[in-house]
Amino acid sequence: MTETVEFQLSEEHRLIQGTVREFASREILPRAAALDRSSEFPAEIIRSAAALGLMGMMVPEEYGGAGQDSMAYVIAQEELARASAGVQAIITVNNSLTCEPILRWGSDDLKRRYLPALADGRSLGCYCLTEPGAGSDAMSLAATAHLDGDVWILNGTKIFVTSGVEADVCIVYARTGPEPGARGISAFVVEKAFPGIRVGKVEHKLGILCSSTAEIVLEDCRVPRGNLLGEPGQGGRIALATLDGGRLGIAAQAAGIARAALEDALAYAKGRRQFGRAIAEFEAVQWYLADMATRLEASRLLIYRAAYLRDQGRPYTKEVAMAKLFASETAMWAAHKAVQIHGGYGYVKEYNVERYFRDAKITEIYEGTSEIQRLVIARHTVRP
Amino acid sequence: MGVNVVVCLKQVVDPELPAQEFAVDPHSRRQVRTGKALVISTYDENALEVALQLKDKGAASGVTVLTVAPAAEAKDAVRLALAMGADRAVVVDDPRAPALLGVEKAALLGAALRRMGGADLVLTGCESADWVERVVAPLLAEAIRASCVTFVSRVEAGGGFVTVKRLADDGVHTVEARLPAVISITSDESNRPRLPKIRDIMQAGKKPVETVPAPALGDVPGAMADGVEVREVAIPARTTTCEVLEGEPAEQADALIQRLRALKVV
Repeated sequence: MTETVEFQLSEEHRLIQGTVREFASREILPRAAALDRSSEFPAEIIRSAAALGLMGMMVPEEYGGAGQDSMAYVIAQEELARASAGVQAIITVNNSLTCEPILRWGSDDLKRRYLPALADGRSLGCYCLTEPGAGSDAMSLAATAHLDGDVWILNGTKIFVTSGVEADVCIVYARTGPEPGARGISAFVVEKAFPGIRVGKVEHKLGILCSSTAEIVLEDCRVPRGNLLGEPGQGGRIALATLDGGRLGIAAQAAGIARAALEDALAYAKGRRQFGRAIAEFEAVQWYLADMATRLEASRLLIYRAAYLRDQGRPYTKEVAMAKLFASETAMWAAHKAVQIHGGYGYVKEYNVERYFRDAKITEIYEGTSEIQRLVIARHTVRP
Repeated sequence: MGVNVVVCLKQVVDPELPAQEFAVDPHSRRQVRTGKALVISTYDENALEVALQLKDKGAASGVTVLTVAPAAEAKDAVRLALAMGADRAVVVDDPRAPALLGVEKAALLGAALRRMGGADLVLTGCESADWVERVVAPLLAEAIRASCVTFVSRVEAGGGFVTVKRLADDGVHTVEARLPAVISITSDESNRPRLPKIRDIMQAGKKPVETVPAPALGDVPGAMADGVEVREVAIPARTTTCEVLEGEPAEQADALIQRLRALKVV
């Protein structure tokens, strides 16, 4: 099957790339290290990002979004993540895991009520799927929801919720039907303001420290009937489709981290002199840099292809799993090599590479571990 | 109502590129541009920001960006300016543009402005990020018979004149200038160029861009100026001199003050 592949970004995409790069280097890069040290939520940066239109990039203009396609989205996410993976994590969850399910499965009323505020920064979104007993096996989740008149009553505990502390709009998955697995699950839009929902334990993590990760506890949480997304029992499908979009954002995050690792390692290697020459002249170092550059380009091509398919309205589950798998493993490998190239200085917080190393790891885990990505790819490859 | 504002833009090789990317062509006696990333000249962006702020406040009825450049080269700069909020663009398509000096540019800009029917307020950068000649604003003002104030950080417009803050060696002067006026802008915390919103980047494609071939401006007096010749463009050779000041600390301190004064550093 032959397809025309356009290897040049359009003028708009280039301008978006340039603008987000400028934003990232002005507003995010100077603060990234400090945010990592303090684990403080980057409120001002998120406000500025929202003002530019970065919080609801793919939300149609009629709902206050920037009306962009997936290509523009992945380009922007890479630029943001290059500066700070933590800041980008907050932004990508708001876009892919909160705005997108509401856009695709929300009633007109839900869309009108939630999307404008999510797009312009008045609200922040989070995604409540994972539970202590349901991680990779997400569809075995145990949170429940039953209808009591005009109100859904939700009970359960969700963990590892990105932006769990600061978010005010949560996409929550709970079991509404007796069917086991995916078919018994439904998806809801739950506001932190609703009675019966609270933030529980806040995790202290290895990386992406300025992005909060928290437990969300639902105790007879009362959710208006109209806040159901789609139909009862559609939750499994909504979760999986939403994760596909989320994986685009994470793959782009990984590409951003890999690029940061490459750029910093390159700059260091050119400046550091040992044995009478820049270490960039030693073949061992050159090979690391060459491999980092190659794997980064390969990651990007996989990401762009998945984004392209999504924009065409075509299935892209296999392709985005490939992109996320490859890009995240590239990020981890590249960050590790970047630390190595820096030698002792790579181990020290004065240089950014140790942060890239800590940040990169999560990309191999969340929104589907690399093991799950391989299962997804295999399912499409072995039994298409 | 508001004033009609035109902002003159020039594209230069990105000044943020690493030093080793800077190269000079000894034959043309110009900076090598091919293959280098181009950006809008730094202070021109501040000028555009000033214009857009006037528009935001309702003091400007419209903002037009004007550039003399090869049309293909100008596309990105024009698109960015429109995305930031300019209403329309005029591109004088001139393949010679990157090699032209300020004298010649001013003449072409003047001719373009006349063809556009003039403007109430013309904003330029105080100096370009590459040649730093600082001549375009005053020469342009001469060409279109407008008042001129240079090194301005802030502009207010109303009632047929502009009130501007001019940065001078001895402080900030408040100057009033009758319209039409050409004002050259320097950077200030109040005129940091805005980033375009993502939505506006898409909208920019729909805004009008008029491309005028340079010959359509006719024979422009002053263009291809005879009076200015570039003899040499070179990267300065780095020399360090070390002057040791003798004596007791108090004497050294005195001597240091004398030297610094003589060098006009303090």
